[in-house]
Amino acid sequence: MKLSSTGYLIKEGFKNVWNNRMMSLASVAVLISCLIITGAASLISLNVSSLIAAVGDDNELTVYLKYELSDTDSVKIGPQLKKIDNIEQCRYYSKEEAIKQYKDTLGNVYESMQGDGNPFGNAYKIRLTDLSKYKSTVKQIKQIDGVDSVSDRSEIAGKLTKLNYFVTLVGFWVVLVLGIVTLFIISNTIKITMYSRRFEISIMKSVGATNAFVRVPFVIEAMLIGLLAGLTASGILIALYNPVKDAASGIVNLIANSTIPVEQLWLPILVSMSVIGMIIGILGGLISITKYLRKEGGEILGW
Amino acid sequence: MIHLENVSKVYPNGTEALKNISLSIQKGEFVFIVGSSGAGKSTFLKLLIHEETATFGKIQVNGHDLMKIKRRKVPYLRRTMGIVFQDFRLIDKMNVYDNVAFAMRVIGTPEKQIKKRVREVLRLVGLHGKEKRRPNELSGGEQQRVSLARALVNRPETIIADEPTGNIDPERSHEIMKMLADINNSGTTVIIVTHEHDLVEEFGGRIIRIDDGEIAEDKYISTKYHELPVSINTSNLVLDLGDDTTQQAPSADTLGKERNQ
Ligand SMILES: Nc1ncnc2c1ncn2[C@@H]1O[C@H](COP(=O)(O)OP(=O)(O)O)[C@@H](O)[C@H]1O
Ligand SMILES: [Mg+2]
Repeated sequence: MKLSSTGYLIKEGFKNVWNNRMMSLASVAVLISCLIITGAASLISLNVSSLIAAVGDDNELTVYLKYELSDTDSVKIGPQLKKIDNIEQCRYYSKEEAIKQYKDTLGNVYESMQGDGNPFGNAYKIRLTDLSKYKSTVKQIKQIDGVDSVSDRSEIAGKLTKLNYFVTLVGFWVVLVLGIVTLFIISNTIKITMYSRRFEISIMKSVGATNAFVRVPFVIEAMLIGLLAGLTASGILIALYNPVKDAASGIVNLIANSTIPVEQLWLPILVSMSVIGMIIGILGGLISITKYLRKEGGEILGW
Repeated sequence: MIHLENVSKVYPNGTEALKNISLSIQKGEFVFIVGSSGAGKSTFLKLLIHEETATFGKIQVNGHDLMKIKRRKVPYLRRTMGIVFQDFRLIDKMNVYDNVAFAMRVIGTPEKQIKKRVREVLRLVGLHGKEKRRPNELSGGEQQRVSLARALVNRPETIIADEPTGNIDPERSHEIMKMLADINNSGTTVIIVTHEHDLVEEFGGRIIRIDDGEIAEDKYISTKYHELPVSINTSNLVLDLGDDTTQQAPSADTLGKERNQ
């Protein structure tokens, strides 16, 4: 494609969108819903991750060792725990320290629970780097000889992680299905434009236009649909971000101070939505453009 | 230069449209292809622009070997040819100027060059001043002249016309044929499929008759438009036409000049 044609080709692309405006609008609308859901899911996930990071500080787990394990053997487990990647911090928590916690509650009985009478086993207090890998890390810990059990992580972090997982999973499937629908609709939109311009395309082919050239206005049409949807979707997401966040923080009071402020997010939202929109648009467009232009011969209609 | 050797075309439905055709058309020739309906004339033209591919044989057109040509080279083959159809094939929603300019735009010509060249060819086909008209505001003859202008605008080596006068009245047909003869006089090879016996007799040149997919006759008719080349041997299928034997018009007409610009 020569530079001299750029203006002509872009104009043709805009014309396509306008001439086929009903279908263009339908494509834009479907793509907007797809992008909003993708964007909303990502934003929720981002914020939940930021919350998890915030509550992660309270997130100490206890690794209980087998009761009969001697003090010397217990101490040897420390280095093994430290070797596990996801363990950020690891502190020995002896049974003496454990029983001391209950000194006041136990009163007289406390004395009898020293030494051999201690009902506790030795333990370690640990912190994980990535809480979402909780399960696999616990599995690794339990493989160590002498480990009895691992305490549950703090409840809120657990719930958040579950929520995050849920949002990601549901978001993924919804986006996948909507994405396919969007591709289908865009490719149909482009197919209709190409069909309505088949006579012109046929003349173009007869005077020696290359496929690359014939393709461009339709790719631009698809890209414009994507861009339009991307801009609208990001506008909606940015506008709704704070109201939704405020409403959510009314339910969970934790949220307010550990969420990401909109000032930090609007530009990434705008850019990513526009880029994703255009990519989906172009992909959808290419499906039908490639199909249309693949045939060799029989290009000059009705001759 | 166009060269076919033992070319056959069998359509997917089994129709044998061309049977073992061999012929050469030299640069600058003026050729009529005649024959009854269904004889294979259009198929012959389609092979030349690679709209259809031959089933067997060898085809060479303006430096391209069509049996080996790559898909992405086909547009460049087509740029060496200008095509005129019976039904004009103009774009209704474009005016005369844009219809002609279209052929240049879609091969990436800069707008400035387009402006100059389109004005030139429109003058050539006598449509100067009608640039802003829509095809439906023109007579059939005028529409065909727009179509001719479009075929000419990219300075092709060869013009092929499939029954160009099939849809226009006799007087206008003569006008179109005269233009094609003038274009030929400027050095462009012209190949015309036609039914119109009178026009063939009047304009002459090389006449190839296709009958049921075979070349039934290949002869020359000498007329004031096309004199019989001296060196020609009409008994030979492959005619030897040197560059100097092509008919140079005695009067330097407008078409002759435009070719040299
Ligand atoms: N696309 C096609 N598929 C099958 N048969 C075809 C096709 N095009 C032409 N034919 C057949 O090939 C023969 C030659 O057709 P054509 O070249 O169009 O003839 P002409 O132009 O001389 O009238 C005819 O019998 C026609 O029916
Ligand atoms: Mg025909």
